[in-house]
Amino acid sequence: MRSRIPNSDELDEEIRGHLAISIRERIERGEDPESARLAALREFGNVALTRDSIRRVWLPRWFEEAAALGRDIRFALRALVGVKGLAATVVFTLALGIGANAAIFSVVRGVLLRPLVNRDEDRLIYIRQGRRDVENLNFSVAEIGDLKARVKSVAAFGDFSTLDFTLIGFGEPRLVKSGVVSGSFFEVMGLRPVLGRLLDRRDDGKNAEGAAVLTYRFWTTSLNSDPHVVGTKIRLGPTPATVVGVLEPSVPYPADTEIIANVVTSPHHLGATMETNRTHRMTELFGRLAPGASIEQARAELTAVHATMMREHPEAYSKKAPTELTVTKLRDQIAAPARVILLVLLATAAIVFVIACSNVANLILARSVRREGELAVRAALGAGSGALRRTLLAESLVLCGAGAMLGIALANPMVAVVSRYAARFSIRALDVHVDGSVLLVGVSLAIAAAILLAFVPRLPSSRAPAGLGLASGSVRITPGTKRRLRIFATTQIACSFMLLAGAGMLLATLVATQSAKTGYANSSHVLAIDIPGAALGVPLKNGLGFFSEVTRRIGELPGVEAASVGTVVPWRDADAFGNATPFSVEGYTPADGEEPPIGRVRVVGPRFFATLGVAVIEGREFTTDEHDPVAIISQSVAQRLFPNGEALNRHVSADPMMAKPTPRRIVGVVADVDDEHVVAQPTMAVYLPTHPLLSYGGRLFVRTSGDPYALVPAVTRIVRELAPDQPVERAATLADVRATVLAPDRVNAFVFSGFAGMALLIAVVGVASVLAFSVSARTREFGVRLAVGAAPRQLLARVLSEGVVIAAIGIGAGAVGGYALARVAGKLFGQVQLPGALPVIGATAMLLGAAVIASLTPAARAARVDVLQALRSE
Amino acid sequence: MARHPDEQRLELLQGTLDMLILRTLQWGAQHGHGIGQAIRAQSDDLLKVETGSLYPALHRLVKRGWLKAEWGVSEANQRARYYRLTAAGKAQLLRERDRWSQLVDAIGRVMNPAPATKE
Repeated sequence: MRSRIPNSDELDEEIRGHLAISIRERIERGEDPESARLAALREFGNVALTRDSIRRVWLPRWFEEAAALGRDIRFALRALVGVKGLAATVVFTLALGIGANAAIFSVVRGVLLRPLVNRDEDRLIYIRQGRRDVENLNFSVAEIGDLKARVKSVAAFGDFSTLDFTLIGFGEPRLVKSGVVSGSFFEVMGLRPVLGRLLDRRDDGKNAEGAAVLTYRFWTTSLNSDPHVVGTKIRLGPTPATVVGVLEPSVPYPADTEIIANVVTSPHHLGATMETNRTHRMTELFGRLAPGASIEQARAELTAVHATMMREHPEAYSKKAPTELTVTKLRDQIAAPARVILLVLLATAAIVFVIACSNVANLILARSVRREGELAVRAALGAGSGALRRTLLAESLVLCGAGAMLGIALANPMVAVVSRYAARFSIRALDVHVDGSVLLVGVSLAIAAAILLAFVPRLPSSRAPAGLGLASGSVRITPGTKRRLRIFATTQIACSFMLLAGAGMLLATLVATQSAKTGYANSSHVLAIDIPGAALGVPLKNGLGFFSEVTRRIGELPGVEAASVGTVVPWRDADAFGNATPFSVEGYTPADGEEPPIGRVRVVGPRFFATLGVAVIEGREFTTDEHDPVAIISQSVAQRLFPNGEALNRHVSADPMMAKPTPRRIVGVVADVDDEHVVAQPTMAVYLPTHPLLSYGGRLFVRTSGDPYALVPAVTRIVRELAPDQPVERAATLADVRATVLAPDRVNAFVFSGFAGMALLIAVVGVASVLAFSVSARTREFGVRLAVGAAPRQLLARVLSEGVVIAAIGIGAGAVGGYALARVAGKLFGQVQLPGALPVIGATAMLLGAAVIASLTPAARAARVDVLQALRSE
Repeated sequence: MARHPDEQRLELLQGTLDMLILRTLQWGAQHGHGIGQAIRAQSDDLLKVETGSLYPALHRLVKRGWLKAEWGVSEANQRARYYRLTAAGKAQLLRERDRWSQLVDAIGRVMNPAPATKE
């Protein structure tokens, strides 16, 4: 039976009662009241002390320990104030390590682990049809119909096609990225409106009214959260539509759409090809698992049905490579692009933490060696090993606690940086915030570090003769301590080496890509502008004539050197048109079994190559006056198919829209330019002059001697004079387009260089502190050496070489460890790039240099040792 | 068991106070002062229990469940906290008494060895 703990009133009353009884007894024995009272009090002794010892009886056992730890912490605080520099270094180092880890952990948690807002989001699946050569083929309407009819383990399917529309009704005409969905989409996705309603069954069919739902981001950023937006009449391309609602904030997938509309708004979706052609694939497919069905069941059933479909329609599937179905949870699918990069970041942060901990361990170890005298005294006075550990733990707790607090403070701005970075890979990173879990991570890392650190130092052994430590209060460095110090310093160097080499690799790649020749001369003076069609398959108002008139008028603007039109903005429109159209040339028959030549077919206007600065090697480029069917080929085509250099005036047949294209006379050969890859590869390309493709939207190019961006208003005005509702979008110079495409690489290199720099800084502090400690502990040795005739320069060299040896061993270990790590990572993530010679040499040189710099101060101190003082010091 | 020359008293052997308290309470509930007085009287004034040890010991025994404390009124109409043996306390008293007599016996044999030849 547990007894109730008496409160302090009861204790007081019990003591008062005791005294009262004692006094009464004395009075009854005949003492006078006053002396009875005094005697009773005297006999009782110290009332406060007694009350305290009673109260302590009731305290739990751990409380005693905690109170002792509290005393130790107070002592540690006082002691640490004495070594401010060391304390600050330790705290800051830990803060960096903890902050980086906490920040990256919260981003990882927010992006990879947080559930989506969708109702029962773990029942949502994403279904993709792909092939080895095409990652995402999408689905055709006919295929979706088959799956819907036959698959039972998926309760409902939602389909989504990404389209660009010209949006008219909210200010300037502009291009919006839109999704076209059937009525089941929002129901399947389990999303709710914040305003109005979402699309449902009544919006399906050819006779429904055009209806559009705005995404939350579009509504808040472009429309200032206008509360009266529902009911607004807009036009999406040629089709009128009404805004029926605003979607709740949710992760946009597969595309970052601004508007989601019903099928009736897309003329293309109503066409016969869309309805019946099994290979006309442009729809993404989502599903909600039937009650009780697991994703494995759904996957098995979908795959089986898909296999049957392929058997029934063999003509619709490529013979080259098998078409396969992948089924993933929607959440995993959304996180997938960010997964690898985030895990790499997490590993990097962990390495930084290891470096920080080794560094702190070093500093603490050095300090505890200095405290050996104090610990020996404590042991001699009867402190058990537990009590000694507690003394050490108190100090590391204080240091790590402070480090954790600063680290959590640092985590906040770091999360902002990392999430902006991760948003390039997953849109979810944008709304990651620092939360309680960061606190948890920070605190648990700090506690882990503190406990680790308390067990690093050697305790004065009870068996070893303590006399030595007690007698001389000075430092005696033991071989064991020295070895440990070096191990930690080597660990730091090894980890820093891995990070530096990795960052170096990214930087080298970045420099190589940025400086790679593109074939476009002076590309910062070429402006590229999108002139999109109103909707897929809807021609521009004035068709082909529109562009010749626009480019003619732009060419007359002051400062403009040339203006032309094309279909592809280099790099920005990569993958938009495909790069694999088979073509044939006169006089070249593929050998048996050889595939016909495949190349990019591009439509370009007159003076296109002059405008983009691409060299014309032979013949001429297109003029405003082409009447015969003509074509221009790239140098690669000329070299491969006309090896004898007789390409001009021969014929080529290429057309992405026609099965049997008319032969065209080759009028020119131009230098290879690669409009898909930022690092140019040899490119087979066939250029056609104005072609019906252009009438569905094109790209304007303007070369100017002045500021290209200053031309944008004039170009917009010219376009609007001819077509008032025409959006004029994404004006950028070719140089800037390339920079934008390279931005993720640049940010990667930047982030990892940041980590590597942090690691380098910590490692320098580590090496410096090891050497500083080793020098100060060997003052006497240096004194003796000087006394027997060593030159100060020799001592300097000795200490420097010690630093270099630590660095060299660390670099060796880092190289081996890094290689092993890359092998393991290669097994997990597929291909992993190893740094080339240059980054490795660079990292080595940097670390050796850093080691020398770190050793300089201690080395100089060693060389300045005063012989007499050193010899007298012990 | 140092003998104080000025006071003819014995210091309590470590760990025996609990046993003495339990033994004293065998005759019924008593308050702290009473317990102290009883030990003193029973030992013919040789043992004196310091209040500073007595009360923590009483609370410790309550915490262990060997005693039960309740408020009561003394014969002189003074409110006081009365301690009473619990069943567990009675069992403990028996155990301690056995251990004590074994100890006394053992120490007695060492200090006063019996004559080697008996009978």
